[in-house]
Amino acid sequence: MTAYIIRRLLYTIPIVFGVLVLTFTLFTVVGGDISLEIAGKDANRQTIDEIRKEYGLDKPLFLSWDSQFVNHLKNALTFDFGRARDREPIIDKIKRGIGPSLALTVPIFLGVVIISVSLSLVVAFVRGTVWDILAVVICVAGMSVPYLSFILFGQYFLGYKWGFFPVFFSPYLSLARNVALPVLIGIAAGLGGNLRFYRTVMLDEMQNDYVRTAFAKGLTMRRVLFKHVLKNAMIPVITRVVLAIPFLFLGSLLLERFFGIPGLGYLMVEAISSRDYFVIGAMTYISAILVVAFNLITDICYVLVDPRVCLE
Amino acid sequence: MNYGKKFSSFVGLRRMDLVMAAIAAAIAFSGCGGSAPDGDSNEMVLYHVLHTRIKGLDPGDMRDVYSIMVGSQIFETLYDYHFLKRPYELIPLLAKDMPEVSPDQLVYTIKIKRGVYFQDDVCFTDGKGRELKAQDFVFSIKRIANIKYLSSNWSLFDDRIVGLDEFREYTKSCKSEAQVDCSRTVEGLTASDDWTLVIKLTKPWPQLISAALADISTAPVAKEAVDYYGKDIISHPVGTGPYKLNVWRRDSYIELGRNPTFRGELYPSAGEEGDAEAGYLDDAGKPIPFADRVVWTVIEEYQPTWLLFLQGKVDATVVPKDSYGEVMTEGGELTAKMKQLNIQLKTFPDPSTYWLGFNMADGVLGNNKPLRLAISRAIDRQKFIELFFNGRHLVADGLIPPMMSSYDPQIKQKGYARYDPQEARNLLEDAQVLYGAKLPTLKIAVPGADTWSRQFGQFLERSLRAIGLEVEVQYMDLPTYQEKINTKSAQMFASGTTAGTPDGQDFLSMFYTKNASPGPNKFNYSNPDFDRLYEQAEVMGDCPQRDELYRRMEIIVLEDCPAAFLNHRVGCVLHHDWYKNYKPHAFAYGLSKYRRIDMAKRAADKELLKKIK
Repeated sequence: MTAYIIRRLLYTIPIVFGVLVLTFTLFTVVGGDISLEIAGKDANRQTIDEIRKEYGLDKPLFLSWDSQFVNHLKNALTFDFGRARDREPIIDKIKRGIGPSLALTVPIFLGVVIISVSLSLVVAFVRGTVWDILAVVICVAGMSVPYLSFILFGQYFLGYKWGFFPVFFSPYLSLARNVALPVLIGIAAGLGGNLRFYRTVMLDEMQNDYVRTAFAKGLTMRRVLFKHVLKNAMIPVITRVVLAIPFLFLGSLLLERFFGIPGLGYLMVEAISSRDYFVIGAMTYISAILVVAFNLITDICYVLVDPRVCLE
Repeated sequence: MNYGKKFSSFVGLRRMDLVMAAIAAAIAFSGCGGSAPDGDSNEMVLYHVLHTRIKGLDPGDMRDVYSIMVGSQIFETLYDYHFLKRPYELIPLLAKDMPEVSPDQLVYTIKIKRGVYFQDDVCFTDGKGRELKAQDFVFSIKRIANIKYLSSNWSLFDDRIVGLDEFREYTKSCKSEAQVDCSRTVEGLTASDDWTLVIKLTKPWPQLISAALADISTAPVAKEAVDYYGKDIISHPVGTGPYKLNVWRRDSYIELGRNPTFRGELYPSAGEEGDAEAGYLDDAGKPIPFADRVVWTVIEEYQPTWLLFLQGKVDATVVPKDSYGEVMTEGGELTAKMKQLNIQLKTFPDPSTYWLGFNMADGVLGNNKPLRLAISRAIDRQKFIELFFNGRHLVADGLIPPMMSSYDPQIKQKGYARYDPQEARNLLEDAQVLYGAKLPTLKIAVPGADTWSRQFGQFLERSLRAIGLEVEVQYMDLPTYQEKINTKSAQMFASGTTAGTPDGQDFLSMFYTKNASPGPNKFNYSNPDFDRLYEQAEVMGDCPQRDELYRRMEIIVLEDCPAAFLNHRVGCVLHHDWYKNYKPHAFAYGLSKYRRIDMAKRAADKELLKKIK
């Protein structure tokens, strides 16, 4: 297994390098020169040239030790992302945004996984009954409603009309209170698709002979479902769950924007709309590393939950 | 298989667990932090909204309107506009008086007020702000000229002050911003003593005060702060104004508190006719600022802004387009519900003009006046305003907005903005003959690809197709759009501008030959008669003769038709009745010091807002 892990870690080098090449090509070569935008609308040539110099845009793209690409590589490897277009260090932006983003996405993620896995076991258990049909109908309905509608209705009714939660982020309230409504909305919006997926997984598992045998032995229902069925259904669950973790760091674009949560999702949207390639590049690079890392963790988890899996 | 009994026992257990979990979650969400108060309840706090985050709080590089809105409460300029008087009137702020101007209009001598202090900050010895001196203005303008500082405000001073362009040349040889020696002499920018600033111009510049000395970019910045904070000065503003920065959570929230070392000012005792009746003079002669804190929340979406306003957590907001029917009647008045909630409506003319511009350097449009006129006649501006702005904006009969002194009251009768599809078709036939072949599909560049932009594009497309002209609307992001215009490669483009001063020159400079792209003349328009009048008017102070020249220039432009001018914006703001002294101002931003909250009314109205939802 150690050899496998080392080999997988070595594989990450070309993947991350590929991401760096891609982002550099997209933002620098295809995206064009951004010095004109930074300079402002009536700037003269001199100012534009000086900005090019300041941001290193006057250097050759590739063929030099001091080229833009080599500097891009160096900065990425040392996590020195420089300053954003508003002159604030990018790393400060990321550090500031990661807390609020995780405070929002982690409870949503845990809530959705715990509730949908638990409910899926129950629904699979009562398959074919009116409860099962009702659950499927609700799931499909939930999946059909646009995410934005959950936000707009949730904010209007739960926040404004009934006053259960704050309508918008307030620095005077605790983070828990600020994220309570968006978390609730995130869970409600995410349940439909997840519950359907896990229900299918659990149904496959429930039809196995060992389940019937377990009940025939007189085991309690909780023990059968949560000890035997759940453990055997873990492979697809892990695949879905662990691979979702890197995206938690990116926050939730819509929820953060509508509820004013100053997280990384909001940072990314702002960076895209203002063509701040420095921020987009840094975020893409970090995301790539996280995706690669969690892919590896997924593989390792397979071995931990299923002794039949062997990493070679 | 029947799992019935086992299932019910399972559900029973889970229900208990769920109840426990729900209680734990409720404690977690409501307990920690609780509903922390918005500071001392007796404090007077102004609650505002910013619809986009601000870029920074360094006046030398401040250009976006939202940064200026916040920065103007912290920093002050030599001159500012009178809060109440109309037409807009410049008054001294940090200057002691209006400047002494030499007979040739080239030398401005400005006396600085004494007893003005920078706010306390760690950048000063012992953390105590020092007194403002004339040298601080010299330093701040030289800083903008420093090419290593990369200020977006340099174009304001380019070729204006004697020796400043040479200073900029010198800064090119320096390795970094910090290396530049700002004590180097600039002939046209000196402090003859600690309280006297002398500015020598290369040629008369009557807009020096309104365009530069009342602009936040020239607000004095302490050299100690620049040296101490370096590049981080964008988040450490050290000004002389009535407020200082308490908290800035970038992307979400800004809070200013009273500057305890502010010298003190009085609320104006005179205004324009009707101000006393409107209650704007109720606080005449009282010391300002009134509010203890000013808070801005960054909210980019309309729904949360509107809901917070209805909860009384925001004092003022623009009329949300999605809730227009809830707010306004067809007659343009507030609905009964809004009146019941004691919400006030303020509308005010905005110094802006929007247009569909023609690139005069384009082979098809530039040499074909009938084609340009045909396009202009094909657009029903009134319908456009009704469809897109609920009928609130004004038709742009010319390029100078009605609120400017140089506005020509007869311009509407001249009919340059008339909608006449038949005339447009006839003109199009002439255009075809002039072109010598079938006209190609024309391209319109529209900045943005959002719903509004697409609907606007479709409106233009439909209007022009109705007269038989084929057009293709190209939606693009703002940087791409700017690049296309700056490189003269856009054929037609939708754009607009808002004047920074009450002088109509901002609009006319867009048609001066020497200002062609990438300068402000994005139309690449050139007319020697216009240029001659422009050069004549450029050095004239505000007087009826100059207004007359402006009007003549406007007619030249309208005759040549380098753009189809569409509309002038009319601002429309809602505020709660407790928000006092809310008189809209088109040019000044440092207005929070005048605003006052009627605290008793706020408490009563908030109860009302809770009841009526």
